[in-house]
Amino acid sequence: MKTVAISLLGTTLDQRGKRKKRWEKWRPTISLCQQEDLLIDRLELLFQPQYQRIADVVTEDIRQISPETEVCQHHIEFDDPWDFESVYSQLHDFSRRYQFDRDKENYLIHITTGTHVAQICLYLLTEANYLPGQLIQTSPSNSINNQLGTYQIIDLDLSKYDQIASRFSREHDEGTSYLKGGINTNNKQFNKVIAQLEKVSINSSDPILLTGPTGAGKSQLAKRIYQLKQHRGQIQGKLVEVNCATLRGDNAMSALFGHKKGAFTGASTQRAGLLLEADNGILFLDEIGELGTDEQAMLLRAIEDKNFMPFGSDSSVSSNFQLIAGTNRNLFKDSINGKFREDLLARINLWTYRLPALKERMEDMEVNLDFELERFTQKAGALVSFNKNSRSQYLKFAHSPEAIWKANFRDLNASVTRMATLADGGRITQNVVKDEIERLKNDWSFSTQDKNPINITAHYLNDDIHVSLDLFEHIHLAGVIQVCRHAKSMAEAGRTLFNQSREQKKSQNDSHRLKQYLGKYHLEFNKIRDR
Amino acid sequence: MLHIDGSQGEGGGQILRTALSMSMITGTEVKLENIRAGRQKPGLMRQHLACVNAAKAICNAQVSGAKAGSTSVMFKPGAIQAGDYEFSVGTAGSTMLIFQTVLPALIQTDSISRLSFHGGTHNMLAPSYDFVAEAMLAVLKPMGIQVEMKLKRHGFYPQGGGQWSALIHPAKNIKRLKLIDAGDLIKQQAVITSSNLPEHIALREINEIKQCIDWSDKEIQNQLVRSMGSGNIVSLRLYYQNCTEVIECVGKIGVSAERVARSSITDLKRYRSSKAVIGEHLADQLMLPMAIGKGGVFRTLKPSQHSWTNREVIHQFIDKRFKFEKLGKDYWEIRL
Repeated sequence: MKTVAISLLGTTLDQRGKRKKRWEKWRPTISLCQQEDLLIDRLELLFQPQYQRIADVVTEDIRQISPETEVCQHHIEFDDPWDFESVYSQLHDFSRRYQFDRDKENYLIHITTGTHVAQICLYLLTEANYLPGQLIQTSPSNSINNQLGTYQIIDLDLSKYDQIASRFSREHDEGTSYLKGGINTNNKQFNKVIAQLEKVSINSSDPILLTGPTGAGKSQLAKRIYQLKQHRGQIQGKLVEVNCATLRGDNAMSALFGHKKGAFTGASTQRAGLLLEADNGILFLDEIGELGTDEQAMLLRAIEDKNFMPFGSDSSVSSNFQLIAGTNRNLFKDSINGKFREDLLARINLWTYRLPALKERMEDMEVNLDFELERFTQKAGALVSFNKNSRSQYLKFAHSPEAIWKANFRDLNASVTRMATLADGGRITQNVVKDEIERLKNDWSFSTQDKNPINITAHYLNDDIHVSLDLFEHIHLAGVIQVCRHAKSMAEAGRTLFNQSREQKKSQNDSHRLKQYLGKYHLEFNKIRDR
Repeated sequence: MLHIDGSQGEGGGQILRTALSMSMITGTEVKLENIRAGRQKPGLMRQHLACVNAAKAICNAQVSGAKAGSTSVMFKPGAIQAGDYEFSVGTAGSTMLIFQTVLPALIQTDSISRLSFHGGTHNMLAPSYDFVAEAMLAVLKPMGIQVEMKLKRHGFYPQGGGQWSALIHPAKNIKRLKLIDAGDLIKQQAVITSSNLPEHIALREINEIKQCIDWSDKEIQNQLVRSMGSGNIVSLRLYYQNCTEVIECVGKIGVSAERVARSSITDLKRYRSSKAVIGEHLADQLMLPMAIGKGGVFRTLKPSQHSWTNREVIHQFIDKRFKFEKLGKDYWEIRL
């Protein structure tokens, strides 16, 4: 590996001392090549053509004091070396022109010479990797008998500095903890998502797509991202949240993009629209898959151009917002059958994070339970807690396969709210937990997710009968139970179940027939309804 | 492969140079570790790197780890090639040390080598050009080692930029060294060298010499030389029948001219008060030619840390080990 330094000629500092006297002065570019533990194989010396004479002296001096160093001169034209735009663009041009060979050469960017503006530009170009190297600064040494001075290499990879790195990881931890709402989660997948999301939230203002089942915490997370960015001073605007499933027709257009007065019937006043409201902030569109195709097209343009046309207006308005989209649908599937625009999907599918369902994050059940309890406690203003047995009873159920947590955190939140409300004197007893478990089981037994007939019949049959039945019978019975649950009376259930025989008048009494069928399994209609 | 611990003994560049020379001459692959481990800036400095590169050039060696700051170097020597070489070192690193590294190897060839050097010639912590040309060559010559040196320009710290050349004759049969007695003093000479400095500095040094030792005007030479930056060195030379001793002190900013002169006089007095033939700084330099030749014996001042370390490093390459024996106060015999 060769070491190549890129340095601006110091028209003041590199010119100090006349004739032989110059050797008594510290000259930064010379000093750079004179360090006993740093060998510069090549020096790229940048200067304005009018300083050719100084450059030649410096070049020759370096040839003498450091014969190993090859000096290459480059002319660079600054109209005004104190003008940021001119200096930056000239140095940027140089960086684009220069053939960097990073496999064979290490680059050091010398930032001791040049105007302060030039030093800032060199720093910016290095930080942005246009100049792919490390910064180096030289400084005169304190002792009078050493005009060699010293040097320091500044690596902008902050993680390489112990103290900064620990500070960094502290902030990073704070950031991720923020995103997790202070919940100390253990789920690897979730923590990985959050760790990256923290970086993306801080470093990017591109769209973020949050997927995952309903109740997995998408809108919570969107709020947290907003708060994190706000906390770090990265956004000034508001968080505007809307569920796209609630937007339909004309209302959808005007709600999102605003309208002019009189744009349509009922548009009696002007409306700004949510996109404009989210200017310099975050727009969280939940259930984005429910958005109509016209709105999708408008939205795409608004994201890409930061520009859109309010309904009924002929001039566009601009809004600079970061989009966070949420969905529980498979947008790729939707885009194939035309329900979701492919181009919009491509645009928002940059940072996509799938939030795992509660069921997939069982290791986090306990911390989330505590979090929900704490939340209730804060809301109610009174401490609510489990006793030891009730807690373990609840957790045992929560981890069991029976607990499907269909609506994820919404279920957990509702469950805790119920238990806490029913807790006398702030203690959640085993009885309260027992009732709650029954309730949850019941709720989920009719969930569309649990379609296994054996699980459905299990809730109603006593165990002896349940294990004796063939799958064939379970399927029948499960279907009948479903109908009974949704029927207002046994008669209605009978009519639904025996619809064909009824037409053909084969059966006179549907209720009786149903009663007989259920009787075979020791079941009664009213009891099914009441469970 | 031979492993050499660069942190042993004196723990500096000397171990590296001796190891490189011995590696080339014996054809032994070496791995140097912990190079300059205890120093403020550990690892290879540019002047050490220049030695590695010079050694590599003259024997076409395979080398890894040769970069500034490296604390470990692997050196696999090839056949030593006489020829014309140019060696440069920046940062006023001493070119004398490069010369010291390649000299024992180049005399082992069949033909003449012409070397030209670019860098420091009169450094504080290394033998100066004059020391090598006067004191060292005077001892090497009777051993059959013949070198002609020519100085074009002085190179002082920190600018360096000195230029000189050396013509090295092959010397495959090195004679046994025997220096028990210096013989009669033939001449004594003080040489004050300055470059780009006010005149009073040299004059004050001369004044100090005159006050401390009664050398005549004829024996004191004040010379102005051309160099890149500024520089000053006081050199006291004693020419004996059987050897020459050169005692020097380099002037530097912050040290008064009087102190520079006095420092060299202190060393001169030490040498003269002992029966030793070889001074402290020449002793360790003679060990290598003895080791690759037929050995020998010389009497010297109390061996420096450099000599002790050199003894151990050389022993790693050859079966024999130098014997250091104290004969009296500040009077030792080194024998192989």
